[in-house]
Amino acid sequence: MDEKFDCIIVGAGVAGLAAAMTLARNNMKFLLIEKGEFAGAKNVSGGVLWGSDLAKLVPNYWEEENAGWERYITQRRLTFLDEQSSFSIDFKSSHFQETPYTGVVVLRSKFDRWLAGKVEDAIAESDFPMDSFIAPNIKVDEVLMEDGKAVGIRTGEEEFHANSVIIAEGVNNLLTRQVGLQDDYVPADHVLTGIKEVIRYDQEKLEDRFQLSGLGGMSNEYIGYATDGVEGGGFLYTNRDTISIGLVLGLKDLREKGKSPHDILNHFKKHPAVRDTIRGGEVVEYSAHVVSSGDKRIMPKELYKDGVLICGEAANLLMNAGKAIQGMDYAMRSGILAAETIVKAKEQDDYSSSTMKEYRQALDESFVMKDMNSFQDAVHMLHSPQMFKDVPNLICDFGRKFFTIDNEPTPKSRKMLAESIKKHSSYWDLMKLGFKGAKSL
Amino acid sequence: MNLLKLTERLGLVSYRNQAKSEIKPHIVVDTDICNSTCPHKCTTYVCPANCYTMDENGKVHFQVEDCIECGTCMYACDQGAVDWNYPDPEIGRGVTWNYG
Repeated sequence: MDEKFDCIIVGAGVAGLAAAMTLARNNMKFLLIEKGEFAGAKNVSGGVLWGSDLAKLVPNYWEEENAGWERYITQRRLTFLDEQSSFSIDFKSSHFQETPYTGVVVLRSKFDRWLAGKVEDAIAESDFPMDSFIAPNIKVDEVLMEDGKAVGIRTGEEEFHANSVIIAEGVNNLLTRQVGLQDDYVPADHVLTGIKEVIRYDQEKLEDRFQLSGLGGMSNEYIGYATDGVEGGGFLYTNRDTISIGLVLGLKDLREKGKSPHDILNHFKKHPAVRDTIRGGEVVEYSAHVVSSGDKRIMPKELYKDGVLICGEAANLLMNAGKAIQGMDYAMRSGILAAETIVKAKEQDDYSSSTMKEYRQALDESFVMKDMNSFQDAVHMLHSPQMFKDVPNLICDFGRKFFTIDNEPTPKSRKMLAESIKKHSSYWDLMKLGFKGAKSL
Repeated sequence: MNLLKLTERLGLVSYRNQAKSEIKPHIVVDTDICNSTCPHKCTTYVCPANCYTMDENGKVHFQVEDCIECGTCMYACDQGAVDWNYPDPEIGRGVTWNYG
């Protein structure tokens, strides 16, 4: 191919596809390169796509039968676990049924492939239906730089040229490192290993078990015993006829504690409350992928340079501040904003940093960086041993006392709580935690 | 209870070029480092696909065939022994997720 593209996007994940959709709608000539056999072939997430940006990319996606998403979230549950008990905060509301939905559960091999189909449609409807492509089965070896400016990519012996490159390669961001925006070695401090099983059930059985109607679904996060003393947490999401159950485990903590993620996954599944929730069914897939922790210290030095933009997990845009594990929504928005910057660069015929930096500004003004900036303290708190060990133990201990009726004089709840606090923590620690919590949330 | 051993779990994974006998490893590990100066040999327990194993003499061995490209070893190894890359679509192994 001799022609020069306006933009080459590396990676057909959520960020890359969102960027491609935006470029197609703006009649840009682009090449979206994916190393897998198809978009989504190598992509893994928990995963809930939070927020409503999907409706911007695929208007009225909920009206399409057999669309690429699994279920929309109508129920949210946060569960504290100790060895024997589970104590949940559970919220279900019919307001979640209003469209656009504010969260959809996805399985990426199916979802990304479906979204890529929508991008193909958008290309066909654009002014350049024959000049923009989604190209799978290509691994990008290098972003070509000339005088400090990106001019294309190289795969094997072959080169493709473009005025700009959007790097949406995911968390294992080799190209981001190659262009000098990320260190060559990124230490384990602010990454976690995500590990997951997909378990299949008869769909009606699944819907009955989780009390789901229509395509409503549930998200459940777990904290405490789930991770066997390792920093992190667990999750369970309902798909159409499967569930996604897994853990995210602090990688540095795993290394220091000498534990294996796949052992901890069985430890989690054996918990009495979890075991009852997932009994029966057939495990149909086991997967794993690194995720960022949400600590900004891991982020690339900058998210742009001449002719280059970094988005999604390649930019370590992911956060869990206790409310939800957010990453795909950040990927989607950052992909859209990156593409909008490229559109502007073409209008001004200037792909240098002075235009590229507008991406960073737009991202800083969006919920993505606003939330990541405001909730850094919450991220640190959630990754503290108090939060993933002491607090769940304390809450479950109190629950056991409060909900047990045993024909003995019942102490006042305040006394029960005092005992639980003494056993698993101290008032002083809890006050510090409460103070930090009040400040950070 | 649907508790699976790791080998059973990996049996559920679809790999590319599975039938090819000659593949190009996408991760190159300098096990001399693992077996001389590394204080923790952590890849032998943190890798979710057990690509790194320790034999009865405590020596680390690496095989790429079961790799699911998660990236864990690239961060976990702080000794410079792991040269990590994605597999080549033509001559590498690597994973194709059915669910993802």
